[in-house]
Amino acid sequence: MAHNPQREDYQRLSLRFARELDQGDPVAATRAFASFGRRFAQDRDSLPQSDADRAFHLAVLAAEIVDYQLPFASDEQAQTLIQRGKDLLDEALSLDPSCHDAVRMRSSSLTPSIEARYQFLSERAEDVRASCEQARESAGAELDGERRALAQDIAMRPYWRWLASLAEEALICGRNRVAADVAERLLASDPRDTSDVRFTLAYALAKLEDEKGLAELERRYAEISPLRGPDDAWIMLSNVALAHKRCDFAGARAWLARIIELYPGAAGALIRQAELPDGEFARLRVAPYSEDELILAISEGIVLLQEGNDRSGRGVLGSWVAREVARLDPAAAREAAVEARPGEGQR
Amino acid sequence: MNAWDELVERCAIRRRKKIGPLSDEAYAELLLAVRADPESFVDTSVERAVLIMARALDAFRASCRNDDLLDDAAYEAERTRRMAALHAECVRARETDESSLDASLLQALTSELEPDPLLEELLELERDFASDEPPEGDAWDDIFYRPHLRLRAAVARTCLDGARFRMAESAAASVMDAAPRDPLGARHTYMLACARLEDEAGFDAVCARFSRQESAWSHLSRTLLLYKLDRMGAARRALRGFSELCAGGAYALLRPTYVEVYLPDRPEAAPCSFDECLLAVREAEPIIADVPDFIPWCQGQEWLVESARRFAEGRDLDW
Repeated sequence: MAHNPQREDYQRLSLRFARELDQGDPVAATRAFASFGRRFAQDRDSLPQSDADRAFHLAVLAAEIVDYQLPFASDEQAQTLIQRGKDLLDEALSLDPSCHDAVRMRSSSLTPSIEARYQFLSERAEDVRASCEQARESAGAELDGERRALAQDIAMRPYWRWLASLAEEALICGRNRVAADVAERLLASDPRDTSDVRFTLAYALAKLEDEKGLAELERRYAEISPLRGPDDAWIMLSNVALAHKRCDFAGARAWLARIIELYPGAAGALIRQAELPDGEFARLRVAPYSEDELILAISEGIVLLQEGNDRSGRGVLGSWVAREVARLDPAAAREAAVEARPGEGQR
Repeated sequence: MNAWDELVERCAIRRRKKIGPLSDEAYAELLLAVRADPESFVDTSVERAVLIMARALDAFRASCRNDDLLDDAAYEAERTRRMAALHAECVRARETDESSLDASLLQALTSELEPDPLLEELLELERDFASDEPPEGDAWDDIFYRPHLRLRAAVARTCLDGARFRMAESAAASVMDAAPRDPLGARHTYMLACARLEDEAGFDAVCARFSRQESAWSHLSRTLLLYKLDRMGAARRALRGFSELCAGGAYALLRPTYVEVYLPDRPEAAPCSFDECLLAVREAEPIIADVPDFIPWCQGQEWLVESARRFAEGRDLDW
């Protein structure tokens, strides 16, 4: 499902706008609402909004810059973009110190190590929950019907993103059981899994070599993700890892073949195994079964790929995957080799 | 592995079979006689293969003695040379006696393979030598079965190196089940696997099974386990235990040293000695590397760094 910052920004303001219109004349309200979209896009400041709404908007702008522009920027542009992102987040925090998204995003550059970032997120998770639940309560008291459901959902999302970040950070820190526990906490709070934390959970279970747990998670997809079955790159890579770990090479190969079948450009991505920074706002929003989605899954899957005393430095599973895929698709292997040479191909 | 001791015992047992039942005293006499001059008692092809390996291992160990005097390039060349020499002797031992599992195991271990292909070779050996039934009671007491236990323990360690922690755990468990006194130290591999799999119950159970006798592995595994479970106070206490109860533990952790491949099994070291710490840290390497901020966290404990520095000074080691 994935978080969509722009859409959430729109939803927040439209909810507030609708609430204010309710107090006036219905005909005028209908006319006014027709103009909302234009005003949101062109004249945002003319719309009613709180400091929290403004702060969230700034966090969204920061997300666009850091998560969606920065990866494609040149080295010179990068510094400017990073600074711009920090400034936006600082401004957001000056407007609303309890803008949890801004606090969380800002913490990634304020904490000196992944361990410190993990501790930061871990220590504050309960406070964020309490704060978001309070916001949900008041939304519940003020609204009814669909708006109430939406407002309550929006109120909880910063907490969900907080837990999703915490789970991912725990996984990177080598705290796989914590990662799985946090993911379960998030699923209990958001059973529809807006954050796609089940992907992180799949990796944590693969790291723990918990075959039963992973099979159970696949079964649970029917409730967690009714529209998308357990055939995403995360589940499949987890299965590659588990099969490889039990020396079921035929099984691991079959899972690799499924990934290649389902994802365009899979062979190249599986050979390159690029590591990208995680999305700051949330996991990047990409099309299901796109090459980008696989690249994200592989990048997060570095924890599985780069493990073991392999002399190549790619990890035991990473080397095996690259070798197997190169055998299945020699052309992709040649292309990846050309790109890997300095001064050629992609930056 | 003490190949000479095993050769002596093999020769003595064969001899006893040949000359008929012996009293314990007479057998002890026989053992003494064989020990005095094992080579003259070697008669079968199996024994000749063991003899080749015993000599080759002696030569290998002797050639390690001057390593400290060599610079990196000379050391690398010397190491390659002696590894190749040992490998060639293993091949010769196998040619002498095809049924020598120890020779096959050593041959695989001296092939300098990556964890995956090495594991493949070891598992193939297990299949090829599967016909031998494990003996009743403690399998270690049967000198002819020991190669199987050594192979299984090597499988467990290779699984750990190749990030196959469940397999490492089950291979190590099978060694402990077959030889409950665990002279090969499969429990150490098992504990490390528990740490990596964050399996606290499994770790506690294996500690209890061995009467909570501590080792460099138990201290280090406990520290890693608790760190991974984010029980930082307890992790700090475990790290303190490792540092205070294992000689030079802090130094071994903060200045890891190259440890040669086990040929064919873990060299002997006194419990919680510095040598044991070096082995434990080396074996834990894939797990430590998987917890990226573990070493920085250790480095942040001033008392640990201080302990490592003191140890280095006392032993005249680099710091």
